[in-house]
Amino acid sequence: MFKNLLHNCFKKSIWVYNTNTGACNGCDIEVINVLTPYYDAERFGIKLVGTPRHADALLVSGPVTRQVVPALKNLYDSVPDPKLVIAIGSCAMGGGIWYNSYNVLGGVDKILPVDFFIPGCPPRPEAILYGVAVALGLVKKKVAPVTLKEESPEKWLKS
Amino acid sequence: MLTGTQLISDLITNFDGQITHLEETAPGKIFITIEPETLTPLADYVMNNLGFRFVVNVGSDEVQLHGNYVISHIFSHDENKLFLCVRVHVDPANPFIDSITPLISGANWAEREARDMVGVHPKNHPDPRRLILADDWPDGVYPLRKDFPYDRKPPSQPKNRVKLKPPPEGAKVVPIGPFFPVLEEPAYFKVFVEGEKIVGCDYRGFYSHRGIEKMGDDVLTYNQICFIAERICGICGFVHSSCYCQAVEEAGGVEVPPRAQYIRTIMLELERIHSHLLWLGIAGHIIGFDTVLMQSWRIREPVMWLCEQITGNRKTYGMNLVGGVRRDIPKELHPKVHETIDKIEKETKALVNAILGDTSLHARLKNVGVLSKADALDKCVVGPVARGSGVNIDSRIDHPYAAYDKLDFKIAVHEEGCCWARTLVRLEELFEAIRIIQQALRDMPEGEIMTHEIEIPPNREAICAVEAPRGEAVHYVLTGSENRPYRWKVRAPTYPNLQAVPPIIKNEEIADVPIAIGSLDPCFSCTERMIVVNNKTDEETWNSQDLIRLSREKTEKIKKMISGKSNHV
Repeated sequence: MFKNLLHNCFKKSIWVYNTNTGACNGCDIEVINVLTPYYDAERFGIKLVGTPRHADALLVSGPVTRQVVPALKNLYDSVPDPKLVIAIGSCAMGGGIWYNSYNVLGGVDKILPVDFFIPGCPPRPEAILYGVAVALGLVKKKVAPVTLKEESPEKWLKS
Repeated sequence: MLTGTQLISDLITNFDGQITHLEETAPGKIFITIEPETLTPLADYVMNNLGFRFVVNVGSDEVQLHGNYVISHIFSHDENKLFLCVRVHVDPANPFIDSITPLISGANWAEREARDMVGVHPKNHPDPRRLILADDWPDGVYPLRKDFPYDRKPPSQPKNRVKLKPPPEGAKVVPIGPFFPVLEEPAYFKVFVEGEKIVGCDYRGFYSHRGIEKMGDDVLTYNQICFIAERICGICGFVHSSCYCQAVEEAGGVEVPPRAQYIRTIMLELERIHSHLLWLGIAGHIIGFDTVLMQSWRIREPVMWLCEQITGNRKTYGMNLVGGVRRDIPKELHPKVHETIDKIEKETKALVNAILGDTSLHARLKNVGVLSKADALDKCVVGPVARGSGVNIDSRIDHPYAAYDKLDFKIAVHEEGCCWARTLVRLEELFEAIRIIQQALRDMPEGEIMTHEIEIPPNREAICAVEAPRGEAVHYVLTGSENRPYRWKVRAPTYPNLQAVPPIIKNEEIADVPIAIGSLDPCFSCTERMIVVNNKTDEETWNSQDLIRLSREKTEKIKKMISGKSNHV
C-alpha cells in the first residue's frame, strides 16, 4: 500500500535536497557523483535542488551532532508535504562509528522519521541510485526485513 | 640557516632560566617547557625575530601525569624545516594563560578551542566567545578533561547560545547557512552588507564536531584510530590517516619500510588529483559554468575506479596502519595506473586550455576575493590559499615525509592572491601530482610493506605535517600507556583557511561571495535560506538558488559585455 501511495505522490520526477548533518563529506561527494555523466541520475528525473522548499525528498548524510539538531528540524519543516527522508551512509543509519560520542545524538532516525536507508561507508553511486530507485518503485527490493527470534540457550546446548 | 641545535642554544641565551625542560625528540622537532609568564615574549621572539609561523595550540589535561593542564603552542619554520613546540603548564586551580592572539590573529580559534575543550581560559583574548561546543552545551563541562567520559551527553542548557556580532551602523545582515545545498560541512556565516558591498562578516561553525579526538584518547587503540582518522574527511581521509600514523611512528621510533612510504606517496597524490578535479568542477558550477562541472567530474571518475582497484574502496581506503600499509601496489597494476593518469593528464590539459582561454572566467575570477600576502601571513593560512598569495609553504618540501624527499617536483606559487591565482595553483599542482606518481612508480623499491614488531613507549611526543589538497594537516600525538595515545590533536587545513574569510570577502559584491569562499575549497555555494534584513522593518527571504542565480547572472552580464566590446572592435 505504501508503495502505491508513494507512486501516487511522486509520480514523476523527484527533486532532492542534500543535507550534511556532520558527515565527513564522503557521502555528499558520492551524491554529487550520481549527477555527473557516468551515473547521470537526471535521466530518472532525479534532480538536486538548492533549497528545501523545492524538494520532494531530503537526502541526509552524517551522524546528527548536537549543534545541528535545531537547524535540521527547521530544514525538515521547510520541505513541503508529502516528503521523503532518505538516510545515506552508515553514520546516518545509526550514528556509525560515532554512535556514542559525547557530541553525537545518533542516526538521523532519532530526529526525523526516515523512510529509506542506503548503507555504505560511503555508499557507491550505484547504491545511491539503486536506493532511490527502490524508493520510487522503479526496481524491486532484493532484501526482505528479518525478524529475529530469541531462542533459549538450552536448545543450543542440546543440539 | 638555523638548525635545531642552534635554535636551542639561541633560546637558552635569550630566555635564561625561563625554560624548564628542553628536548629534540627527532631531527628538527624541538619540545620546550617554559614558565607561563614567558609565553608572550617567547612567542613574540620566535615569530618576529626568528621567522616562525604559528601552527596551532594543543590543550591537554595531564593531571594524571604531573598534576597540571598543558597548553602546547606549535610553531613551524618552513625554510629551516623546524617544528617548535612550546609547552606551558597551567595550574588546575587557576586555569588561565596569556593569550597570544593580540600578537598573531591566526591563534584566535586555537585558543578558544583549548578553552572550550580543556577549560584553560586565554587572558586578554579579543573574542572570547564559544567556538566548538554546541549552543546548548552546559557551562563548566569540558569534554577533553580526563574525568569526562567520552560517551556522556550532558543535559541541555539553551541559554548558552553564541551571540554573533551585531552589524556595523547602516549595514544589513545576510545570513548564509548553516546548510549548503551541495557539499561539505554545515557552517553559518553572518555577512554584513551595505547595498551590494560587503563590509564585514561573522562565523559560527563546528556543526560537524563529532568528538574524534576524545574517542582516540579514551576508547580506541593505536591501530583503530587509523580508520577513524580516515573518516575525519571524506575527501582527503588518506592524508589524515597517514599523518596520524607518521606521528605515532615518529613517537615510537618505528621504521617504516621504504616500499610502504612510496605507496603512501602514490595514494596521497591520487587523492590530490581527485580532490583538485572535484574542486574545479564545483568552482565551475558556482559561477554558472556547468560544463566544467560535468567534464572535470567525468575526468575524475577513473581515479576513483583506480583507487578501488588498488585498495578495495572508492574512498576511505583503509590502507594505513601504524608501521606501514595493508595493501601493496603490485607490478601487474602499474600499467593500469600509468594508463589512468596519462588519460587524466591528456583530458585535463584539454579542459584547462578551454578554461584558460575563456574571457568571462578571467573576468569572474581575476581580482576577486583578494587575500594580500600580509593577511595571509597574519591569518596563518596554508596550502593553495597561501601559495596563491605568494607565501611559499608546502609541507612536502618543508617537513618532508613518506618518499617526498627522494622525488623531484615543483611547488606552484602565484603572487596575486585572487581566486584566479588559487585556481592556477591547483591546476599546476594537479599536473605535478601526475609527475610525482610516475616517478614514484618508477623508483619504488621491492620489499616489505609493513613493520610488524612495534612497541610504542608512553609519554613520547611527536608532530607530523602532511600536505593535503587543501593545505597542511598537522597531527600531534602524546603517547599513552594503554595502547592508545594520551592526547591526539588534529589540525585540519581548513581550520586556518576559514579564519581568512573576513579579509577575503571584504569589499566584494554579494554575487562574488560563493566563489570567494569556494576558492578556499572549504564550502562554496550557499544556503538553504538567506535573508536580507533591512535596518528598520523590511524583510525579504532569498534562498541559495537566488544567490547562485545572482552569481550566474553576473557571469552572463560579463559575457555580454565582453562580446559587445569585441563587436565594436
